[in-house]
Amino acid sequence: MNLFSEIYGTYFRVAAKLLENEVTDEKTVRETVLRDGFRDSVLFLPQKLIPSGEDWGLFRRTADGNLRRITKKAPVKVLTRLQKMWLKAKLSDPRIRLFMDSETLASLEQRLADVPPLYGREQFCFIDRFLDSDDYSDEKYIQNFRTALDAVKRRRIVFIEFVSGHGKRMSGRFVLLKMEYSPKNDKFRAYCYQLQNEKVRSSGIINIGRITKIEDTGRAYRAPVSMDEYFSSRKCSTPAMIRVSTERNGVERFMLEFASYEKHTVRNLETGQYNVELWYDQQDETELLIRLLSFGPVIEIFGPEHLREQAKQRIKRQAELLEKYK
Amino acid sequence: MAGFSELIKNFDKTRDYVRDFFIYGCKVRSDFDRKSIRTYGDEKRRVESWMGDYMRYDDSLRGRSVSISVDSGHIPENPLYNAYYSKSFTDNDIRLHFLLTDILQDGQSRTLKELVDSLNAEYEQLFDEQTVRNKLREYVDEGIIIAEKQGKTLYYSLSRDTADDFVREYKGLDDALRFFSETQHFGIIGNSLLKMLGLTNDIFFIKHNYIIHTLEDILIPDILTAINEKRSISFTSFSDKMKREGDDLGTENKAVPMRILVSVQTGRRYLAAYIPNYRRFSAFRLDNMKALKMEGCYENYDALKDKFERNIRHCFGVSFGMRREAGAVTPMKITFYADEKKEAFIIDRLEREKRCCTLEHTGEHLYTLTADVFDPNEIMHWAKTFIGRIVSIEGGADTVRARFYDDIRRMNSMYGGDEDESVQ
Repeated sequence: MNLFSEIYGTYFRVAAKLLENEVTDEKTVRETVLRDGFRDSVLFLPQKLIPSGEDWGLFRRTADGNLRRITKKAPVKVLTRLQKMWLKAKLSDPRIRLFMDSETLASLEQRLADVPPLYGREQFCFIDRFLDSDDYSDEKYIQNFRTALDAVKRRRIVFIEFVSGHGKRMSGRFVLLKMEYSPKNDKFRAYCYQLQNEKVRSSGIINIGRITKIEDTGRAYRAPVSMDEYFSSRKCSTPAMIRVSTERNGVERFMLEFASYEKHTVRNLETGQYNVELWYDQQDETELLIRLLSFGPVIEIFGPEHLREQAKQRIKRQAELLEKYK
Repeated sequence: MAGFSELIKNFDKTRDYVRDFFIYGCKVRSDFDRKSIRTYGDEKRRVESWMGDYMRYDDSLRGRSVSISVDSGHIPENPLYNAYYSKSFTDNDIRLHFLLTDILQDGQSRTLKELVDSLNAEYEQLFDEQTVRNKLREYVDEGIIIAEKQGKTLYYSLSRDTADDFVREYKGLDDALRFFSETQHFGIIGNSLLKMLGLTNDIFFIKHNYIIHTLEDILIPDILTAINEKRSISFTSFSDKMKREGDDLGTENKAVPMRILVSVQTGRRYLAAYIPNYRRFSAFRLDNMKALKMEGCYENYDALKDKFERNIRHCFGVSFGMRREAGAVTPMKITFYADEKKEAFIIDRLEREKRCCTLEHTGEHLYTLTADVFDPNEIMHWAKTFIGRIVSIEGGADTVRARFYDDIRRMNSMYGGDEDESVQ
């Protein structure tokens, strides 16, 4: 039982896909490899599938030049023990209730009765997760989540009432584009466009836990949606520019902590320092700023000016506080 | 690049390269001196193949640097899962996979001899019994094939649990797979299920997403088994310095595993374990571990686990400090300024981020966090996210307090403020 096994591999998967049909042809083989293989697989995989003397022998050439599989039926997709153990472990995850009702869960639990879970939740600990996570056992939350999920999947226009991050009651008609989950906050949010007269008024994010009412309006949003456009509309216009020094293993620590950001790094050969350009969502600017400040003098923010100025003001205030209360 | 294969045997080597491309982002060929040119070229080509548009190339005087630049909050699937889908195999492996499952699809059970005969007669494929027996044994272990004894003879049948049936029977499972395939723990397994079903995650994006963690998942099943069986493990670890200096030998360790500690803010995951030689608990970074082996059972595991549970309550992060088990814990008090009426969000932040500490309202606009933790140094990285709010720091170690005051002085100077001699 191994995570790293060829039975889950791309080559096996491509072969299984092609073996679904009794007869196929070289063109389909190449197209499937191009679509489902790695970038360079088309250079290596077709000759293993198409009879060539060095192939695996899974297909034979027919009189009309096509390829006939040597198997009798389409491959069956048998779950491995590892996959079932993983599923069993997920049954103990409270978030599973967002997707499946109690009856279905009980039935799946029964089906997997003889399978041990891959892990116990107590074997892992999230050391720095925030304590105000969403309440996945709350029936109202589950109901709201499912309505939101359905709205995303069927692109329904929904009426939502919610409490904003500043405590204001808000409402409106929204189209929900995708769901977002943060392991740091342990919260779900929905990316959305707010609509006015069925046209996009603004883009935003709504915390599922802040929704007090969500209703399907019975209408679907038909206009095409580009997630790239949505993300670009929320991105900073100028990246944060950071100088990272080698002090206190700063480069390693910084690069790991900010690994989730899109960034561009250049190393200064003389000093060993790194100059990093880091792109972020505008709404996360404060979060970025405080995380940068937590590195102390190991890093320096040198752009854009407004970000550097915010850092400067906070540090100035800090120095004043220490002076005042000493 | 003759002889290049997209598939790999050795996952550890690939882990190293992906990590270097991903984390540092500006290494050039000469930074990989410890490897041969051929190895570097092959590994680079594989990573390029997996990462596609996320690869970035920059030319400098030192040469062309290769890096991975992903906004991992805005991708529907972790591209590093491809590393797991690249395991090499033999021609017999793939033939037997599809032929044995084809024969057994009718639901009948068969003996080894019957299977070998079928392969020969029905598929014109000659295999010796030993090869087929080995594959059957492997697939029994994987749970794909079920072996049952009837009398003295083993009969083999195909497991009836199929992915299609599960998704059809259990409503909502497909969406659960979409979600769990991109989150901890072991999202890679969920992704393998999605791929098996021909599904993709087209719903969920993951913020604060450390996609590199998936490469460490390779170690965790053995660690979990050791925990379940109350065993010790041995492994090699590599400090950052060793990695920088190309030390391929690392340090040998023997430890008793307790728990996996996950940081959702620093991008690191650790194994918390007891080190018998030093008689203390410690945390090892998973990305620095290799060559893990299961050792014998640890006699006093339960008593050790109880001790661990008492100890872990005093860790702000993962550090058990340098104290021995009987040593003292240093309490630390950090007081923050927050206007209750106008700045309730600061108090909310303190409440939700305080972890094992306690928070008290200690005066007008003043909130004091008491940290009864082993390593006061560890709390300061977090405390500095409150720069502009910290009124005082008491307790802990003198060096920790001194460093904080010095840091503020240096930062004040760095950002053009007055270097205030009174900050100390």
